[in-house]
Amino acid sequence: MAITTVRTTGDPETAEAAPALHTHIRLAAEGLPDTDPARVVRAVESGRAPGATAVEDLELAVRASAALIGADPQYSRLAARLLARLIRDEVLAGGLRTFSESVAQGHRLGLHNDALAALAGANAAAFDSLVGDEADEADDRFGYFGLRTVYDRYLLRHPTTRKVIETPQWFLLRVAAGLSSGVDEAAELYGLTSRLAYLPSSPTLFNSGTAHPQLSSCFLLDSPRDELDAIYGRYTDIARLSKFAGGIGVSWTRVRSRGSLIKGTNGRSNGIVPWLRTLDASVAAVNQGGRRKGAACVYLEPWHADIDEFLELRDNTGDEAQRTHNLNLAVWVPDEFMRRVEADAEWSLFDPKDVPDLTDLWGERFDAAYAAAEAAGLAKRSVPARTLYARMMRTLAQTGNGWMTFKDAANRACNQTAREGNVVHLSNLCTEILEVTDDETTAVCNLGSVNLSEHVADGEVDFAALSRTVRTAVKFLDRTIDRSYYPTDAAGGSNRKWRPVGLGVMGLADVFFKLRLPFDSPEAKELSTRIAEEIALTAYETSAALAEELGRHPSYADTRAADGVLHVDHFPRAAVTQPARWDALRKTVARTGLRNSLLIAIAPTATIAAIAGSAECIEPVVSNVFKRETLSGEFLQVNPYLIADLKRLGRWDEATRGALLSSEGSVQDFGWLPEELKSLYRTAWELPQKALIELAAARTPFIDQSQSLNLFMAAPTIGKLSSMYAYAWRQGLKTTYYLRSRPATRIQQTTVAAAAPVSLVEPSRFTPDEAVACSLENPEVCEACQ
Amino acid sequence: MTVPSQRNGQTLLDPGMDLTLRPMRYPDFYEQYRAAIRNTWTVEEVDLAADVSDLAKLTPGEFHLVKRLVAFFATGDTIVANNLVLNLYKHVNAPEARLYLSRQLFEEAVHVQFYLTLLDTYLPDHEDRAEAFAAIEHIPSIKEKGDFCFRWIDSIDGLDRLDTAADRRSFLLNLICFAACIEGLFFYGAFAYVYWLRSRGLLDGLATGTNWVFRDESMHMNFAFSVIETVRREEPELFDDALTAEVTRMLEEAVDCEANFAEDVCGEGLSGMNTGDMRRYLEYVADQRLARLGMPARFGSANPFDFMALQDVQELTNFFERRVSAYQVAVSGQVSLDEDF
Repeated sequence: MAITTVRTTGDPETAEAAPALHTHIRLAAEGLPDTDPARVVRAVESGRAPGATAVEDLELAVRASAALIGADPQYSRLAARLLARLIRDEVLAGGLRTFSESVAQGHRLGLHNDALAALAGANAAAFDSLVGDEADEADDRFGYFGLRTVYDRYLLRHPTTRKVIETPQWFLLRVAAGLSSGVDEAAELYGLTSRLAYLPSSPTLFNSGTAHPQLSSCFLLDSPRDELDAIYGRYTDIARLSKFAGGIGVSWTRVRSRGSLIKGTNGRSNGIVPWLRTLDASVAAVNQGGRRKGAACVYLEPWHADIDEFLELRDNTGDEAQRTHNLNLAVWVPDEFMRRVEADAEWSLFDPKDVPDLTDLWGERFDAAYAAAEAAGLAKRSVPARTLYARMMRTLAQTGNGWMTFKDAANRACNQTAREGNVVHLSNLCTEILEVTDDETTAVCNLGSVNLSEHVADGEVDFAALSRTVRTAVKFLDRTIDRSYYPTDAAGGSNRKWRPVGLGVMGLADVFFKLRLPFDSPEAKELSTRIAEEIALTAYETSAALAEELGRHPSYADTRAADGVLHVDHFPRAAVTQPARWDALRKTVARTGLRNSLLIAIAPTATIAAIAGSAECIEPVVSNVFKRETLSGEFLQVNPYLIADLKRLGRWDEATRGALLSSEGSVQDFGWLPEELKSLYRTAWELPQKALIELAAARTPFIDQSQSLNLFMAAPTIGKLSSMYAYAWRQGLKTTYYLRSRPATRIQQTTVAAAAPVSLVEPSRFTPDEAVACSLENPEVCEACQ
Repeated sequence: MTVPSQRNGQTLLDPGMDLTLRPMRYPDFYEQYRAAIRNTWTVEEVDLAADVSDLAKLTPGEFHLVKRLVAFFATGDTIVANNLVLNLYKHVNAPEARLYLSRQLFEEAVHVQFYLTLLDTYLPDHEDRAEAFAAIEHIPSIKEKGDFCFRWIDSIDGLDRLDTAADRRSFLLNLICFAACIEGLFFYGAFAYVYWLRSRGLLDGLATGTNWVFRDESMHMNFAFSVIETVRREEPELFDDALTAEVTRMLEEAVDCEANFAEDVCGEGLSGMNTGDMRRYLEYVADQRLARLGMPARFGSANPFDFMALQDVQELTNFFERRVSAYQVAVSGQVSLDEDF
């Protein structure tokens, strides 16, 4: 029977889409009272192409629902349900009815590895029952953005038809089974991931159980030695590691600076920039099988004489021959530099050829060697430390890059640096991994993150549940080390020797929203620190238990833990709330040793937080309404907690929606909103950055690697930035990540009503005073206050 | 907003070549110039690698749409740049306004370069390329848009000085045509196609570059509207009912032109994009332009493209995905260790 619909404009028309689709949409909207299925039906009717197939219609319905998420977040669930149906239809159309059939077909197609195929084949019924009737319920935990990301990028596809051969739940079970020896183990991990309580990192999600199980997220490579073959060798290493979805950190500090004599030819070196240009091209060429782009971060110490050119590598202006648009940049800053900035003293720049040992030293020994090199007159030149510091700040403001990472803090408490010669030379692509490297050793890390949002019950954090999650997570992170394929020997060797893992978190901001704690409140800081302590304690306890069962990691004797010193012991002022449990742990470790040299690292979690539908790692939300751009397109994200509050207040209406879009997701100018809600829903731009730094500093004792800490400043100035990063250093942070700032001008809004001409407000002004004036004058169209 | 002081009663459209920057008559023009500088981007930053493989996935209808679009952009930006040099720069008589126009000219050049690079990348076949670049000559739907533009360029081509009220109204019509119809409607139509493609996860490079072009173009439009506002403040008598009637007619014509282009571009209709929806969207945008000019709405249509709402929201990108386009260019100040942050 044809269904008659009325369009927004024009006459009633007879719909042509299959009535089945209308039924799907209506069924999917059950329990979502704030959605209007008829609106989605209308959009499908209006937008469908002549002769569209049922699949095209369903896809159109998915997108039509997704486009309405800004009107009500419940449309996200509606879109996700429709997409889940589309995926199931696609898998069924390929003849696959169960998980075991999917694995069998994937194995025949060369996608799955033999071990997984054997395991799934031998236990088909048991595995299939894990993802039976509950699958619908588990799928219903996904928001649209999460499920779309899974569908577009994570589900395995048939090599020629490009149709997916697994459903979202089969995918999670495939990942779990790929790390397991039996059904029970797989069920244990799948139990966490299907609830979205924990997710392994993207490379593990991509590759677990497949023919190329490269499961590690990060690789850290020492600077190439200062010679041609070594440099070209590094390019090859990086390309190999990048190919299978790993992010790269590489130092370039050992390579001689511009003007340095080349003995073999009696010529002069062009410095590091031409080499980094080649690296740039090489990284861009390797695109990780189309699933995500290769990415690398280059580290340089600020005493290297090419530091100025290095800081300009990402500039938009100037000579293109001196630019690398694909590389990320980080500065590996020794304390001595920051002390000279504080003292407004001179800073000497060296050619590494003249001071080859400097990059292998940290702390007092670095300070002494640096002073000795200065005294010996080896410096190429010197600059006021503040001039260079200002240059570093400018790069951060202009490009977001040039991440400030602190060499001495990174080494001082690192469990791997107990013995001479074991030095952390750099961090990784996301500045959360700190592991030793040398010419023959590529550091590796396997990551996963606990979704804190799923560990809140009855108005408080469920620490017992958190602890259970961490035990399972650490067990499987450790397992990942053995199951992973290593693209280079230097990586495989070091990972088996040190067995480091990086357990992180996501959804901290969700916890604060659920418990109604403003991000900068003392209670938030206390809770965040307590969570970090619980995770660290449990992770160490688990690693000790694994050591007892499976043996300690081979280089255990070279760790600070072997000397009886745990990471937290380097921080006498750490806010320890469970001293007895720590004492017990120390005793246990003295007996058992540890299975893993490092356990905790807070990664940015961008993509897996999207899958889990939670806020990213430890970050505040950037806006209460923002869009995410990904390889799958653009998606609107609305803060569901805010909207629930607005609905409670009876204010979630067209006017508020428009105002929220106009204000770029800020509620600070909503005069009618209670103060406590304004405070709770401040965005990252509106929170004091001091609070972000202090939260990070308070949890540092419980983070044995580091944390990807973004800082936010809408209108950065050199003065503010230099104060902020000096504070971060004084607070003992090991690393910081992006500086996020805002575009100086932006697109004129299309869907927000135009201003009346008399009150026409000029586009973006970015001095804060003007921004204030502007928002007072006309908050509806102000572009500066986004 | 402050009312600029008029030097000796001089107005913005009084003929001449004012060279005096201080005291500055229109500081907000200068601020717009500075804001534009802070958003410098280069074509080299746009990564087109993924686009080439996406092109192979497009249906013939979609590919046709992409070719038409890029052809229009390449020509459209050149036309805008020409009008800027030949007509606007001459008559907007304030050095700070000319600073902005110079900057705009640079941006138009970058846009032309971007679409040139796109066409070269998307159309490896030299004959296809030549055809696309000559779009304005033999693709009727693009020619029609070109004719519309040229009519308004030609209307003031002969004017060397804006002496009479009639001259100034002609100038205003040219300016309004470029702000409201070309940058504010033709381009907004084209942007909608690009974002429609992006809403389906296609042609990331095209979308990234277009996003930046869109950002620039919306600032150009904004600048033009602030020039119009200034003229209205200085010479309110120019804005009479006849002007309103003429602007409304101009927008009607522009909507028709762009809707004809939509028929060519969409063919029989694509999933989620068709001529009917596009016309409603254009009418909705046209009403917004009229509102901005203080004129009554003409169409009363609602925006059918929910995905365009996304363009109003701030972006958050992680580097594995796209390049972050939100960074500023000029930063000032000195090192200090005790500022609040």
